[in-house]
Amino acid sequence: MRLQGGLIDRSKTLRFTFDGKSYQGHPGDTLASALLANGVRLMGRSFKYHRPRGPLSAGSEEPNALVELRSGARQEPNTRATVVELFDGLEAASQNRWPSLAFDAMAVNDLLADFLTAGFYYKTFMWPRAFWEKLYEPAIRNAAGLGRLSMEADPDAYDKGFLHCDLLVVGGGAAGLAAALTAARAGASVILADEDHRLGGRLLAESDLLDDQPATTWIADVESEFASLPNLRIMRRTTVWGAFDHGVYGAVERVADHLPTPASAVRQTLWRITARRMILAAGATERHIPFANNDRPGIMLAGAMRAYANRWAASPADRVAVFTNNDDGHHSALDMKAKGVSVAAVIDARPDAKAFGDYRLIAGAHVTSSRGRLGLRSVQVTHDRGREWIDCGALGVAGGWNPNLQLASHQRGRPVWDDTLHAFLPGDLPAGMTVAGAAAGHGSTQAALASGTKAAVEALAALGMTALPATLPRAEDRASGLHPLWHVPGKGRAWVDFQNDVTVKDIRLAHKENMRPVEHLKRWTTLGMATDQGKTSNVTALAVMAELTGQSIAATGTTIFRPPYTPVSLSVLGGGDTGTHFRPRRLTPSHEWARAHGAVFVEVGQWMRAQYFVQPGETHWRQSVDREVLATRKGVGICDVTTLGKIDVQGADAGAFLDRLYANPMASLKVGMVRYGLMLREDGHAYDDGTCARLTEDHFVVTTTTAQAGPVYRHMEFARQCLWPELDVQLISTTDAWAQFSVAGPNARKLLERIVDGFDLSNAAFPFMACASLTVCGGLRARLFRISFSGELAYEIAVPARYGHALIARMIELGADLGVTPYGTEALGVLRIEKGHPAGNELNGQTTAQMLGMGQMVSAKKDAIGAVMSRREGLLAEPRVLVGLLPVNPADPVVAGSHLFTKDAEQRTETDEGWITSAAFSPHIGSAIGLGFLANGRARLGEVITAANPLQGQQIALRVVSAHFVDPEGERLRA
Amino acid sequence: MPEAAVQPLLALTALGGATPRKAVHGVLTLEENPGLALASLALRRGTSRPTPFGIPLPDAGGWTGRDGVSIFWTAPDQWLVAAEARADSDFAATVAAEAPGCSVTEQTDGFAAFEITASTGEAPILSLMAKLVNLDPRRYGPGTATRTGLEHMSVFVIRPAPGRLSVLGMRSAAGSLWHALETAVARIAP
Repeated sequence: MRLQGGLIDRSKTLRFTFDGKSYQGHPGDTLASALLANGVRLMGRSFKYHRPRGPLSAGSEEPNALVELRSGARQEPNTRATVVELFDGLEAASQNRWPSLAFDAMAVNDLLADFLTAGFYYKTFMWPRAFWEKLYEPAIRNAAGLGRLSMEADPDAYDKGFLHCDLLVVGGGAAGLAAALTAARAGASVILADEDHRLGGRLLAESDLLDDQPATTWIADVESEFASLPNLRIMRRTTVWGAFDHGVYGAVERVADHLPTPASAVRQTLWRITARRMILAAGATERHIPFANNDRPGIMLAGAMRAYANRWAASPADRVAVFTNNDDGHHSALDMKAKGVSVAAVIDARPDAKAFGDYRLIAGAHVTSSRGRLGLRSVQVTHDRGREWIDCGALGVAGGWNPNLQLASHQRGRPVWDDTLHAFLPGDLPAGMTVAGAAAGHGSTQAALASGTKAAVEALAALGMTALPATLPRAEDRASGLHPLWHVPGKGRAWVDFQNDVTVKDIRLAHKENMRPVEHLKRWTTLGMATDQGKTSNVTALAVMAELTGQSIAATGTTIFRPPYTPVSLSVLGGGDTGTHFRPRRLTPSHEWARAHGAVFVEVGQWMRAQYFVQPGETHWRQSVDREVLATRKGVGICDVTTLGKIDVQGADAGAFLDRLYANPMASLKVGMVRYGLMLREDGHAYDDGTCARLTEDHFVVTTTTAQAGPVYRHMEFARQCLWPELDVQLISTTDAWAQFSVAGPNARKLLERIVDGFDLSNAAFPFMACASLTVCGGLRARLFRISFSGELAYEIAVPARYGHALIARMIELGADLGVTPYGTEALGVLRIEKGHPAGNELNGQTTAQMLGMGQMVSAKKDAIGAVMSRREGLLAEPRVLVGLLPVNPADPVVAGSHLFTKDAEQRTETDEGWITSAAFSPHIGSAIGLGFLANGRARLGEVITAANPLQGQQIALRVVSAHFVDPEGERLRA
Repeated sequence: MPEAAVQPLLALTALGGATPRKAVHGVLTLEENPGLALASLALRRGTSRPTPFGIPLPDAGGWTGRDGVSIFWTAPDQWLVAAEARADSDFAATVAAEAPGCSVTEQTDGFAAFEITASTGEAPILSLMAKLVNLDPRRYGPGTATRTGLEHMSVFVIRPAPGRLSVLGMRSAAGSLWHALETAVARIAP
């Protein structure tokens, strides 16, 4: 029902629907408050038993009132109705019920309650094992579970950002406002974040005055001062959900969740806030007192009941009762009464309780049961004089308050039990964090204000800043007089964890089944493991367990929390970009040219490389690749190899430096020449290969594989800075700076002669493995390297990247009569397999120079990283070496990954003799070919072995051959 | 056939266009800067610090510039020297002549350069920075430059002036960087 007053804007009416039925509310309402104002208490069904449920709370701790919001692609399950800001046109639907909320066929589960006890799944669905995936799990997910996904892509945009401040204040209630005011006045850069859309926290829900004025007056004054402080950033609708290392906090700002659609704006922003100090002023969450049938719609936390009345002018019923073990419950009754709601009784468990006003007080009594199928009708009160049923549509339960210390726990800080306050208080805090207000156990408004101020003064003092405590308004400073009552003993089911349907009975059973450590209790019963992380249940469950074990709560254990404080959408954690922008894409300088010439691209790490170029009439990739390979071997082919890492190495000791990095000698390399180089890891295995070109005495350019461009550069920097800082060496990556093309094939020289500016390319002047700086196409500076990956007469030519597009276009244009063709990575792979050149498949981190047939390259005349370890006995004894493999039947495939066995040998791990690393169809040979590591391979040339591919049931006869299928003598590349 | 070779090759910008890309969103303008020449300068052991173009080399985190030439620190004993509208020249050779005994490497085409300007002063730039990079604007004010991560890319972020922000990212990822910058700029712009 709707009451008078409240912080809602009655001048505007908002229409919304719940389960298809239309209702009205006002700006300032939450979905839950608007539904209560419309007389709707039933908002959901429970997780396991499908029990009718209404809101338990009025905030983010809500376990019951979970709804599906919106429709279509924006449909969002498990939204807490208690924090959904009402907007015009809002559509909400109940979930976890069929066919309707009022009649849920799955409520049959409730009749099976004795069967569905703690550990039910573990005990029941153990066999047959095969049934789990196909039968049990789908059935359980259908019956239990919460809302459903739309299965459509999220249409909204999400953003992220970074903020830095001296002080982050989490929570904009009494303590948080006092802290932010104190710190911001002192000139500190302050961020004040609150999950609500309105500052004030619990002050908004209370009727208490500040300086004889409504709290909203004081809040308005504070906010107007905030507006004048440029060093203060207020973040409303922002939940700080995690405390991470080094003073970093995760926060989600709900930018547009309160709007029908985000329009052009982002929906949510993930902020990473780096704060030198943090004050946790997150308030406290009221706890309930389990009693039999305590989960009916209308039974809620007493503080929530008065929050609905005071802030949202809504009451779940016109006649209410309160069940309490402390004075705060009485204030809920007084507030309801002041709002014109009839108070049937205050049932106080304390025998000596006194009334604070004119209402019926039943002291020394317990609520022991309730009635009402879809909503509360009456409660049963038991006292030493007997039992009675009291009619009421709502019951406020006041069991005391638990400090919201979750963020204080995010770095494993265990809460500490306080026997005076009967509550857990923050224990070891993350560095830089202070806790203030109700979160630190300072529950009265006066104490919260004072503690917020004090925390700010101390936080700033730790930063070397002086803050003057703000003058605080006079505020209530009541004691609670709490006498612990953790649950009402009895036979019926008394819910502890509403969201996961865990009762006192379940805890008792877990205890009986020896699940006594708290961590076991939690997992056996699933208590506290729902999306609310047990905010309204954990402490109560611990207390019940303590009672069963006969230990104190402190000795029973404690609870711990992990991020996120409240649920965070994966979309906002993902940072927003999806599809092609999900990660950076690197394009080669000839990308546009390749695209325009039919290239099909392949992802190579972040790079997009042309895989092959489809020509008219080609319908299968093999047609394109075979053509490119043959054309390159016959005429000349051009491939963009810019992606290979390039590192500029300069300095007086550049040669000595490279000598220590590469297994083979580099310092002896002559100026104007290139040498193939092999790097080893510290453990002696092959790391990466590439080339070193010596441009001048103290200037080298080294290349790496595409995949290892970054790691090798990092490795070299580590060696330069940490291993040998005494060497005069300077490094910088030039991978992106130069567009580099491989020009390979018998006509390569003829083609290049057409673009170089009077440079002598003859074999005598520019032999195999030569390099030079020169100019091309009329003065453009370029670098030329005579190196070959394909076994053909080949060069690599580099120009500043901006000219890459024009250079390939020019070479293709000028080479038409030479049979020029662009080729992609697929042909590149075929060409290098035909030549027996190792690449990533062979340099996979498990192989050695010796296995690669490069054992002699590891120089014995000098030391280098990995050289000593490569001479380990075990590595020297490794029999497998690189060989070529040809199918005996030319029509047979060669399958990479297949394992190699002696023909007709039994195929076991012990008889495994190697594996196939690379395979391709060789148009040059006319059949599939492969490279692989084979035990004693060099001595087995000509032998027929078996390649086993048990995944596809293949057994293929292969002949062991030289790894060099093309030009084994190397005459072509020296031509 | 050879006569065609004397036709000079035409350069493309990092974003693949013949002309630089530009986007205006409210008070913020984002523009590709293909004319920026870059060369790295590293001190060799025992060399004294040069003052190329008369500009003293800035200390860690620093940026300094004058007359179209600027220098910022990139690593211990290492800087990037930048010059407006000189990308087509052999700028590394020019820098080498200005810094005798130092290791100089051409970097012009290693990077895509994007300039962001705000017509209303520093505030929009600070808002934009908060969305792009994890840098504390109080420490990275005008006259600073640093290397940091932006959308999983390594970039240099330079603050030449209160209302300006320069971002240098690897040239091959220019498209991804432009997308990240323009998305953020469009969201910040009123």
